[in-house]
Amino acid sequence: MSQHIYITGLGMISAIGNNVQESLASLSHSKTGIGKINYLTTRYKDDFLAGEIKLSNKELADLVNDHNPELNRNSYIAMLAAKEAVQHSGIDTSDGLRTGIISSTTVAGMGKTEMYYKDLFEKNDHLDVLDTHDCGDSTERIADFLGNVDYVTTISTACSSAANAIMLGCRMIKNGLLDRAIVGGVDALSKFTFNGFNTLMILDKEWCKPFDENRKGLNLGEGAAFLVIESEEALKKRNGKALAEIIGYANANDAYHQTASSPEGYGAQLAIEQALQMSGLKPGDIDYINMHGTGTPNNDLSEGAAVKAVFGAHIPKFSSTKAFTGHTLAASASIEAVISVLSIQNGMIFPNLNFKTPIAELGIVPETTVVKMPVSTVLSNSFGFGGNCSSLIFKKVD
Amino acid sequence: MDALIEKLKGQIIEQLNLVELKPEEINPDSPLFGEGLGLDSIDALELIVLLEKHYGIKIEDPKDGKTIFQSIRTMAEYIKAQGKS
Amino acid sequence: MVKAYINGTGCISSQDTINDQWFFDPVVEPNGDYYNAIEPSYKEFIAPNLLRRMGRAIKMGVASANLAIKQAGATKVDAIITGTGLGCFEDSERFLLAMLNNEEQFLTPTSFIQSTHNTVGSQIALIMKCHDYNFTYVHRGFSFESTLQDALMLFSEGKETVLVGGIEEHTPNFIILNRKAGKFKIFDHHTAFWKPSAKGIQMSEGSTFFVLNKTKTEKSLASVDGIQTLYKPATSDVILQKLYSFLKLHSLLLTDIDVCLMGFSSDIDFDKQLRELLPVIKEETIAAHYKHLSGEYHTASAFALWTATKLIEKQQLPEVLAISNKKPNGIKHVLIINQYLGINYSFTLVSKC
Repeated sequence: MSQHIYITGLGMISAIGNNVQESLASLSHSKTGIGKINYLTTRYKDDFLAGEIKLSNKELADLVNDHNPELNRNSYIAMLAAKEAVQHSGIDTSDGLRTGIISSTTVAGMGKTEMYYKDLFEKNDHLDVLDTHDCGDSTERIADFLGNVDYVTTISTACSSAANAIMLGCRMIKNGLLDRAIVGGVDALSKFTFNGFNTLMILDKEWCKPFDENRKGLNLGEGAAFLVIESEEALKKRNGKALAEIIGYANANDAYHQTASSPEGYGAQLAIEQALQMSGLKPGDIDYINMHGTGTPNNDLSEGAAVKAVFGAHIPKFSSTKAFTGHTLAASASIEAVISVLSIQNGMIFPNLNFKTPIAELGIVPETTVVKMPVSTVLSNSFGFGGNCSSLIFKKVD
Repeated sequence: MDALIEKLKGQIIEQLNLVELKPEEINPDSPLFGEGLGLDSIDALELIVLLEKHYGIKIEDPKDGKTIFQSIRTMAEYIKAQGKS
Repeated sequence: MVKAYINGTGCISSQDTINDQWFFDPVVEPNGDYYNAIEPSYKEFIAPNLLRRMGRAIKMGVASANLAIKQAGATKVDAIITGTGLGCFEDSERFLLAMLNNEEQFLTPTSFIQSTHNTVGSQIALIMKCHDYNFTYVHRGFSFESTLQDALMLFSEGKETVLVGGIEEHTPNFIILNRKAGKFKIFDHHTAFWKPSAKGIQMSEGSTFFVLNKTKTEKSLASVDGIQTLYKPATSDVILQKLYSFLKLHSLLLTDIDVCLMGFSSDIDFDKQLRELLPVIKEETIAAHYKHLSGEYHTASAFALWTATKLIEKQQLPEVLAISNKKPNGIKHVLIINQYLGINYSFTLVSKC
């Protein structure tokens, strides 16, 4: 059984670009994708900012080249990102090796359900939303689009979802159940999630300012990102090329509150420590941390405390890239996994935009401009409602 | 003031689904959070909506809730001070 | 090969499964084209300050998890894994309708927070103060199967005790809409459940939890020896070939299986491939079924696992479950073949231990 898990393909669509190349260009030019709301229908569209994908549903359908009326925004962007990852890796799903699709989402088909739900009671149109509302729908759309898939499943653990999808893929390969997997997450913007976060009063009306003393909250975003991961044997068999290795992962629970994180970030500490332990690295070996860093008062304080507890006085260079993409919920961990691999590949740390003043209780300062330096190891954190805390560690391939 | 306090008790029980509680069991001066009624940060957000829905009072910063929601009496006083009772 | 020993079960379903003495008698019939779960009084299981916010899925989940933990005598678990197709649908719908009816105004956070799919798993973690592994699977007819697969992996990775469960709830509106979309059918007393003449299922709900252990103890009721999922198998022949290889992995033949629990849903289309398999199953083992009692839902396979555990415990196949006329001569191995919408198939091997 393979103990090495290699990343061999990346695919991503979000506010900062419709593919990985566009995303890299935005990241390396400090260009945010967050702006005025153009596509989401909400009475608050002029009051808040969001990280929208700059394409209408019609344009997405054209891009996917599938005009099946049952498809929704979640499926379009999931299919686009998964296809890009598969093409990038060069795998052939019909070669007889066992391929799994492990996706994750929180909003699923809600974006379409909310448009038609009330009509459903009076009219007979759009009853198909009953079949496409659930989380499994977009995953099976990817499976059918790619073909020759041996295993499908979907995870939903709020904003840590995609980290858990990546972790599950690694574990299934290590347990000899799969040879490779397409892992990641997807969440399109919906009125439902937008209003939900608004009731929690954790949306910033301006650009979000992760780790800043005067941070007010998060900006919501949307996106999908998938990674192709393979066992060493599968990679050798097709003479493929590895982009990076996944050497550590862990999942822990804060068990403190349904939505808020504990002040000391206990669950986050557990996840980071256990991921480090698995990787065999010492805290001082980490070159860069891609933080969860949503920009809410609670998350950044709690995550900062956890990082300080684990790394002590020697905190590695760190940033939250959510001021580029917005918080893409279930997709955020896979989007940030792609960003972590880009960081390793390009020797670049991408900045924490909009930061000015350190948080008084923490006194820690993120990178605020693009830093060019060799990056061998990246820790990426993702936390979610329900106390879900997950950390992943990526390493440059020698 | 007393009438407003009684009205608030009923509204709070309904909004927070405190089915086990009768209005007469709530002391208007005991703390809403922590020891008293044992409410938490999610309830605080619910109370903000209660003020908006029933009294037309909009609270923009959840931190302001800390002083307003100390007890039912402080809530009533706040509503009075806003001229919305 | 790693096994998962079932040390405790808790089941809330359309039958009286909450009653420890119940063994498929008496049985409840659906309300026409759907079932409601028979729910306990939750005050026995959940503190009032928690109960006031919980939707039914959360209440059913926490209560049935509680039953399983009690039966197993477990004081802590190393992982909590839940599976649900639609999650906390009641809260999702409540927030959705409030948003649509009030044009996005006066919305409150509670139903939004509770609508998150991982709410049941995280509430159990909060109540048990469990800081360990916590996962929620949300893939249609694979939601519960994924929890079992994960538990088996966790055991090979060194965990000792894992809580798994499948939870589903429906709402009056959801029933109205699905009925309108032609998905339901009135339960038919006159035709055998596995020989339907029309489309449609009886929708249902429920929550079933299991405490699984890596090592056998005196509490162990049965073991889950293996699980496999099949996505859109092209033909029933493909299913049969996959089944033979699955059994071979466990050094078994189909003839070694004492009872095969089949996931017939009474929908003529969804059941097609199982119907084609039935002659082989009847020939080589004893065919039985369960969805005429549980109704159909994304995690009905958790009810099937509960049923398999009971059959092994009691060493009996009740008449009401049987399809074959043969009676088993002792029950050592039970095979569950579940299907959901004729798309998601799974095999679960359960054995006496």
